[in-house]
Amino acid sequence: MDVDTAITYYNNLAVQVFSASKRWPGDGRFKATKLEEVIKSAVGDVTGDTEEPLLPIGDGPVCRT
Amino acid sequence: MNANIPVLFRTYPSRETHSGCKIWEAARATSAAPAFFKRIEIGRGQPFIDGGLGRNNPSRVVLDEANTLFKTRPIGCLVSIGTGQAEIISIKKPGFLQQALPTDVIEALKAMSTDCEATHEDMRRLFANLSNTYFRLNVEQGMQAIGLSEWEKLANVEAHTTQYMKRKVVDEELTLVVNAIRFSSTKLTIEQLSMEGSLL
Repeated sequence: MDVDTAITYYNNLAVQVFSASKRWPGDGRFKATKLEEVIKSAVGDVTGDTEEPLLPIGDGPVCRT
Repeated sequence: MNANIPVLFRTYPSRETHSGCKIWEAARATSAAPAFFKRIEIGRGQPFIDGGLGRNNPSRVVLDEANTLFKTRPIGCLVSIGTGQAEIISIKKPGFLQQALPTDVIEALKAMSTDCEATHEDMRRLFANLSNTYFRLNVEQGMQAIGLSEWEKLANVEAHTTQYMKRKVVDEELTLVVNAIRFSSTKLTIEQLSMEGSLL
């Protein structure tokens, strides 16, 4: 993901996540479920799989660009 | 929680890679700022809170990691970008609903702005004899009025940042940053620098 795309995604994330504050902010003021949903959607857009691992297990020291 | 031992979510192989972690879990864990989002558990129920608690300024962590990976290479430069001047990163007094926040979390939030500048001072000392190698950019005015979650004030952030960058001293520093990135001239290796650091 290039920097400009990342900024666009981040701006979208901030609007979505911080617009929805919780009614009873016991364990954090904002919905962690919303944050997860927006992050997963971005990961899905970019990698094609919302559950994509950070680093595939068993990969040797190869350069993944 | 133990904020003294940071976990690094790496996108490259390492002896200490946190295996089996998904991209969204890493993103979620690094944004688990207390008072904002509940913490997340990854893998065998290991709880994570945002690194801001212990490593709001990660320069030291970055140097240690670079030393592990690139010991013998000459150091290029280290550019640190702050989110607003330390003493003005304001933490609003908790409202009555937030009084349930554990006091250790509140104390940690207070500590993080001081932690930030302390690390900057350490870095300045460490790089004192290396000219044009360590840089810190930090918007000094205006950010105190903007809370972490106030996305609708993004235009204000942009305006304050533009003002900051127009200052002569900052403009000159930016030129030095660009030159340091493009034409690195340091002879000292990361390992040598880190050894000096351990004497601090």
